[in-house]
Parts: sequence; structure tokens; C-alpha cells
Amino acid sequence: MGLLDKMGVLLIGLGLVMYAVSAGADFGGGLWTAAASGPRAGRQREALFQAIGHVWETNHVWLVYIIVVLFTCFPRGFEALSISLLYPLVFSLVGINFRGAAFVFRHFGRHKDARLPGVEAVFSIASVLTPFFMGMAVSSIAGGRIRVANALIAGGGPSNLILSGPIAPQWAASDWITPFTLTGGLIGLSICAYITPIYMTARTEGGLQEDFRRRAIAGALALGFLTSIEVVVSRFDARLFFEGFVRPLPILFAGLAVSCGCFTLALLLRRIYSAARWLADFTVAFTIAGFAAALYPYMLIGQLSFAQAAAGRATLLAVMITLPVGAALLVPSLFLLYRTFALNPFSGRPEKEIFPS
Amino acid sequence: MMRNLLFARALMGISLGFHIVYVAFGIGFPLLLMISELLALKTADGLYHRLARSWTRPMTVLFAIGAVSGTIISFELGVLWPRFMGFSGPMIGLPFWLEGFAFFIEAIFIGLYIYGGDRLSGRALLLCTVPVVIASAASAVFVISANGWMNSPAGFTLANGSAVDVGPWRALANKAWAHEALHGTLATYAASSFAIAGVYAFRLLKRGDGEKPLYRLGLSLSLAVGAIFVPLMFVTGDYAATWVAREQPAKLAAMETLPETTRGAPMVIGGGLDRTTNRVRYGLPVPGMLSLLAFHDPDARVLGLDAFPPALRPDANKVHPLFDLMVFSFFVMLVPSLWFWTARWRKKDVFSMRPLLALIVIASPFGLLAQEAGWMVTEFGRQPWIAYGVMNVSNGVTPRQVEWVLVLFVLVYAALTAGLLRLLLARTKNPPPGSSAKGAPREEDMR
Repeated sequence: MGLLDKMGVLLIGLGLVMYAVSAGADFGGGLWTAAASGPRAGRQREALFQAIGHVWETNHVWLVYIIVVLFTCFPRGFEALSISLLYPLVFSLVGINFRGAAFVFRHFGRHKDARLPGVEAVFSIASVLTPFFMGMAVSSIAGGRIRVANALIAGGGPSNLILSGPIAPQWAASDWITPFTLTGGLIGLSICAYITPIYMTARTEGGLQEDFRRRAIAGALALGFLTSIEVVVSRFDARLFFEGFVRPLPILFAGLAVSCGCFTLALLLRRIYSAARWLADFTVAFTIAGFAAALYPYMLIGQLSFAQAAAGRATLLAVMITLPVGAALLVPSLFLLYRTFALNPFSGRPEKEIFPS
Repeated sequence: MMRNLLFARALMGISLGFHIVYVAFGIGFPLLLMISELLALKTADGLYHRLARSWTRPMTVLFAIGAVSGTIISFELGVLWPRFMGFSGPMIGLPFWLEGFAFFIEAIFIGLYIYGGDRLSGRALLLCTVPVVIASAASAVFVISANGWMNSPAGFTLANGSAVDVGPWRALANKAWAHEALHGTLATYAASSFAIAGVYAFRLLKRGDGEKPLYRLGLSLSLAVGAIFVPLMFVTGDYAATWVAREQPAKLAAMETLPETTRGAPMVIGGGLDRTTNRVRYGLPVPGMLSLLAFHDPDARVLGLDAFPPALRPDANKVHPLFDLMVFSFFVMLVPSLWFWTARWRKKDVFSMRPLLALIVIASPFGLLAQEAGWMVTEFGRQPWIAYGVMNVSNGVTPRQVEWVLVLFVLVYAALTAGLLRLLLARTKNPPPGSSAKGAPREEDMR
């Protein structure tokens, strides 16, 4: 496995983490809108609505980024995943579609005083289902059910003479529905449930802040519980993943995720919100790193490694060379944006914008 | 299997057709914005700034929908065409990767412009529009490179059906890129400015509606941009057609319904190919015109559909009417722009000339129609290839059943379009943006 391949894997990992913490916060907004309760339920919804306002759907840029890196740097893996994960991918896509539209319609409709019936319900349902199916899709690649027959990666290839490509994933409709992937879906959901209220504690005060604090603690416990369960489930349902997990690096990342999570809980209990937000991001980052390290060197566990799926050297090199050039344009632009509006550079949200409780 | 292919193509076509409309505005609005903010600074006329700010809300909505529909397309590339992407990813991935940077920069500066209304000076707002104009055009130019590659695959050697010796930069700079990027990107300016002009002409036609000075300015500015770009469509279209004549003769033959290889080939307006007799029926032939346009020589030999095996012929009865629609749209847009600007030049009050305004309203969707038609000419004209001369569409499609995905997405798109129309047609109760005290709209206006 060459250095360029490894850099490609890092690019995907970075994309996953950024997507989880940025879009995850948006999905969580929909989730907690649906689960708003107590005497301040209306104000919870309003604060969540306002909080998403500033970034609309730009966070999905990270998803497109992941897809582009996948098909550019690991085209054969992208091919295999696209074929075998048809159902969860399409369901996520429908969810993204409805969520994005419902979000725009809500803002637009509010401005025009013309509300679409059911738009908030659509927004909430789509916000819950999308991360669930995405969690299932991501955990499917480690579930061990997807098989790639005839994995002659180097030879063969599509042309008019050869009808089938070199990779022939074999699938059954239920490949992606296992105890392991269902737990994975719930983990996807709990990441969103955990991230959003922590962001919200920094943006609210008084009773509303207490509401979000309690929700953040619930989300943290849910995430910790589900990820622990997933390890146990994998022992029986995803053996290869379990074997990959009980290695030094995945255990280290898992340990870091647990430490960050516990530390976040402690900060929430002591009502120290500004640092909790950063630690929450790191909790999610280490959770994903632990998963990726357990999967590595496979892209599709037990079937297809990243090295086998990778594009040629020239393509990987072109991506790695243009990355700093693009970054040199992007970073100052982002800096300008964040300085102008005093945004948190990690979440893209305002540092301080208090909603009255 | 053929049915599955048809469904996959239909879904991809619907998604791209949807996306193209929104992207046209995503590229076109920034240019109008930049011109308007520049004139606002130069003339110190507050109306220009108000005009620019009045576009922020529709621009945001259209940009957001464009971004979401773009996300859908990136998914569909894999879900519908995994075989194609597995083969071509290392070649066409690079332009998508570069487009990502351009899109990000566009999003950042659109955000700065929209939310910075209260915090930034007029000069700073103008400076924000410049990267948006450049990045949005660059996005289009990069993405079109991928389509160019499908028409003129480059940057690899085929060995045993596998791509070896891959050069992503050679793939990026494929031979179809220049003419497609030029024609396709400029088309978005013509299409969006005409659609916007139509909205203002419609508002001016309605008597007793307020904000007349704003509508007049909006109409003048959008038609000025339209009048510049519509003639450019003809020039770049000629460049594209001569390239197609040289490199993709089967596509040209389908565009012009030329059944047999002919010297001094005629250009046929309208009509269609009768499959039983292999003759063109009902069309109006202009002798020698096709040879003249394609090779700049009235006696030049033009390859007809008979020069290609039946399995490799694009369907002339799809490609030709769409090509005619594109050319027809050009004239539909040319007439009102010429009329408008000659009448203004003669110092007539163009804004009360109702037939002219009505004609602008009628012409307004034709830029978008031409854009869709032109894109479909490229796509249908390339059939049966997904990568010209290298890979068939049927070899690129997913082996899984995707009929249900198409049905699902038709329902999704229908629901979204219904919702969008309902909101767009609802009348605004709030004051128009830009009417707040400082001349800059409040932040809520843009949401």
C-alpha cells in the first residue's frame, strides 16, 4: 500500500468526519425538532430552526466531496459499493432531497407568510431517516455480507468485447439489513442527536440552555451505549470487523473516543459549554477513526482492499498536488467568511448568537 | 436488461435536466449581480444596489436547489452507472475534484455577499461578487470537461479492456472540452438573463403594479446581458458544429437527418427520417447549406447515417428535432433583443411598448429550452456510446434493477416542483428586500 493510497484513505476519513459533525448537526436539528418537548418545546424548535439558518445545505458539500474522492481515487471500490449498497444509498438520497427542499421551503415560506402543509413533518422525518440509512450504508461495508466474486482487479475491464466488469459484487436484497448494520444506523442517528444539542448550549441561555444540556447528555449516553453494543454485536454478526477491531490502533482510537465522550459529559454536568463543543467534535472524529482503523486495509471488508480499489499513481498524484493549491484559495476565503460573521471555524456556526429563553 | 438501461437513462436524464435549469441561474445571476453592483458604485444610483439585493432571495433558493440536485447527481453517477465510473473515475474524477474547490469558493462568497449586506461596504460587496462570477463559470467549465471526455475519451491506453497509462491531465484537456465548455457555459448566461428579463417584462405588462423603475432597470440590464450572449451562441455553436462534423460524424448526420453520405449536403429544417424508406419526410431542405456550415465549403462531402453500422447510429428522430429547437430558440431570442435595443437607440419608450414586452415574455423560456435541447443533442447524438468509441451505455449501467428508483424519484421531483411552484406563486406580504432604512435588506430577507 503506497503513500498515495494512504493519503487517499485519509482524505475520505477527513470527509466523513467533517460530514458527520457539520451535516450531522443539521440532521440533529431535525431530530430534536421532532423530539421537542416540555414547556419550552416551541422555543426549542424556533432556536433549532434559526441555528440551521446560516448554513443552509452547504454542509452536503462534504458528501459530494466524499463521493468524488471515492470515484477518483478508489474507482473499483466505488463501483462495488454503488452496486451492493443500492437500497441504503437511494433511501439516503431521497431523505437528503426532501430535507433540503423542506428546509428551503420553510425559510422561503416563512418569509412569504405562505406555509406548505406538512413541511415541518417532512423535514423531521427526512432528518431522522437519512443519517439512519447512511449509518447502515457505512456499517454495511464492514458487515462482511457483501461479497465480491471474481475480484481480478488488475486484469480485464469494461470494453465492448467484455460485457462484465472485473468486479462482480454478489448481493441479496437483505445484505445490508443485519443486526450489525441496524446498530450502525442507530449510531449514525445518535451522532446527530449528540452533536446538535451541544452546539445549541453555546447559543442559548437560561431554561432553553438547560433543555439542550439535558438532550446533549442523553445523546452522549446513547452514542456511548450504541457504539459499545456494536462491538459486542460484531463479535457475533460481523466477525471480520471484530477481528479488525481488536488491534492496537482501533483500540487506541476507541479509547480516545470514550475519553473525549466522558470528558464531554463531565463538562456538560459542570455547565462548561464552550469546550464541550470541541470535545464533542473530537468524540465523533475518534469514533469514525476507530471504525476506519478496524476496517483497514479493506475498503469492503474481507473482499476488496483500498490498494486493490485504488486508481493509478498519476490520478492520485494529480489529486494530492491540486489539494494544496485549492486549499490555498479556500482557506483565506473561509477565514474571511468566519472573520466577517464571527463564525466557529469548525462548525460554520456563529460563535455567539443567543436566543432568548 | 434493456428496460433497466432505459430506466437508468431516464432517471439520469430527468436529474440532469432538472439540475441544468438551476445551474443556469447559479452562473447567470452572479454576473448580473456583479454588473449591477459595479454600476451602483460608478453611478452612485441607489437603484442599482436595490436591484442587485432584490435578486439575493431567488438566487439563494435556486443555488440551494442546484446544490441539492448536484448532490443527487453525484450519487446517481454511482448508483446508476457504477461500471462506467469504475472505468472512467481515474480520468474524469479530476475535473469533478477541481469543480469541488470552485463550488466551495462560490458558496463562501455568495454567503459573504448575501449575509454581508449590513456589514460590508458597497465596494466590498462588489469585490465579493467577482470570485462568485469566476468560480461559478469555472465550475461549469470543469464539469463540462467530464462530458467532453465522454465525447472524446483521452488520457489512457486500452489494454485488454482495461485503461492503462492513465494521464488525468490529458483526460481533462480532451479534444471536445474547448468547444463544449465555451458553448455550454456562455449558454447559461443567455438562458438565465432571458428568463429574468421575461419576469420583468411580465411585471411591466401588468398595469398598476408598483416598483416600475426597478422593473425597468431589471429588464434593461438582463436584456443587455442577453443581447451580448445570444449572438455569441451562434459563433460558438458554429465552432462546436465544425468540431462535431470532423470528430463525431454520426452525431452530425443525426443532427441534420442525413441518411446517405452526400456531396453538397442540404440542411433540412424540420421533418423526420422515415425508417422504412430511409428518406427524410416533411422537411424543408436548403441545398448545400449543411456542407457549407459543417466544412465551410458548399460542395464538401458529409458522411450520412449509412456510413455507420446500424447499431452505432444515433436516433436522428430524437437528435434532429432537438437540434432544430435549439436553433429556433436562438432566433426567438434574437428578435426581441434586436427590437428592444434598436427601439431604445431610436429613443422610443420601450417600456410602454406592449407587443415588445409580450414578445420578451414569450421568448423568456427559450434560452432554458435551448440549453436543454442542446444538451440532449450532445447526449442522444453520442448514443450508443457512454464513452465515444470505447464503452457502450449498456456496459456502463448497473447490473441491479433500478425501475423502482425511477418511479420513486419521479414522485419526489413532482412533490418538490409542486411545493416550489406553490411558494413562488404565493404573493409576498413583506416589503421587498432593500427597502429597509439603510438601503440594504435585513438579514431575514434573504432567508
